[in-house]
Amino acid sequence: MAKQTRGMQANTAQQKADEQLMARIAQGDQVAFSALYDRLSGPLFSLAFKMLGNAAEAEDALQEVCLQIWRRAAAYDSSQSSVFSWAVLLTRGKVIDRLRARGRRARVISASIEDEGNLIDPTDASTAETAADNMNRNEEATRVRTVLGGLPPDQRQAIEMAFFSELTHHEIAAQLNQPLGTIKARIRRGMLRLRDGLRRSA
Amino acid sequence: MISDELQDSAALYVLGSLDGAEAAAFEVSMQDNAELRSLAAELREAAGAVALSAPARRPPAALKQKVLRNIAAEKSRDLTTTATERPGSGTGLAWAIAAMLMLFSGFLFYDRMQLRREIAQVRDIDPLLQASLVALAPAKGAPAEAKATVAWEPGRQTGVIKITGLPVAGTGKDYQLWAVDADHKDPVSAGIIHVDANGVAQVRFRTIAEARHVKAFAISLEREGGVPKAEGPILLVGSTT
Repeated sequence: MAKQTRGMQANTAQQKADEQLMARIAQGDQVAFSALYDRLSGPLFSLAFKMLGNAAEAEDALQEVCLQIWRRAAAYDSSQSSVFSWAVLLTRGKVIDRLRARGRRARVISASIEDEGNLIDPTDASTAETAADNMNRNEEATRVRTVLGGLPPDQRQAIEMAFFSELTHHEIAAQLNQPLGTIKARIRRGMLRLRDGLRRSA
Repeated sequence: MISDELQDSAALYVLGSLDGAEAAAFEVSMQDNAELRSLAAELREAAGAVALSAPARRPPAALKQKVLRNIAAEKSRDLTTTATERPGSGTGLAWAIAAMLMLFSGFLFYDRMQLRREIAQVRDIDPLLQASLVALAPAKGAPAEAKATVAWEPGRQTGVIKITGLPVAGTGKDYQLWAVDADHKDPVSAGIIHVDANGVAQVRFRTIAEARHVKAFAISLEREGGVPKAEGPILLVGSTT
């Protein structure tokens, strides 16, 4: 229980710190942006790389996302999501735009499935992160992987296909040759379990 | 108690797996359902966490300097533009849009009752507070039945557009929405819009850069995936004033 409380406090403190950085970025503070980059660039780059399967394109996508964060900082709404989730969804959207423009859907699906056996990777997220940020992020990543890994395989697969590609649930159902209702239920149950699991392990 | 069906939609919504119409319908469901909004927010955080399951990789150290240089350049450019550009001055497309607006007799004949109904429908989908409502009419060469209604809220830098009567863009093409803003030399992209087989689209949008003084919205036909600066023909246009 003590560990869970410490984890929740750390998450809240980090979210508050991120929100303060966003408020400064909205005022045009480049130093604040540099600090936010250090905190987020590793996970965002990793996400872009996983979806695009190409380092050069992932770099381009991250650059675009960074500019978007800079331009849209004033529009960030903390009541809707944490800064981290907001940035992740911006990145995902940007990568999907690139994937759609280049018509590489099949490759992404294949890459997403192939990666299933390789969820744990101890590599540092970013050279620029502080040691504390690095440790927190690695702990958080381990926690997420543990919770995801604890989901029934069909639920985890459906969530990962939905998240790491631009497929709609209709397309996922077709890809897996399953009824649409089955896919919807797998994603719902998986997401609810993921939410609950992340809460419990915080 | 949230039904399984709505929980399905919430999970798919935060994962971006609903198509445009389904997402719009879910957003309507959230408008007056605080419990559903709360669930969506929780699931959005869970979805964000999924990103951390990607194998961790290290972005090149040089990338940070490149990003910071881009941002410094943008900040400098914004300051220069503010200091030297006369509001309303602009290039190519901006002038073309301005000229079209002046020539538009279509607005004079536009069925105002119909426009009110269109606006009411947009408000039903997303009742943005303090939104400016803009009717877009077809430009020369566009289908006469094409039209759009925009609800734009500068404070939130977000809007909703409803389009009807515009045929599917076709292979290798996309429709792109633009905001003509007094603070920007060129129209600001507000994203790609896909119409369905019935020529209808209803989507939420944001501009890629802050647009506090939007004078007009326009839709052009561009290369697939969109372009940073408009190249194609303008099909729909409407003034905020």
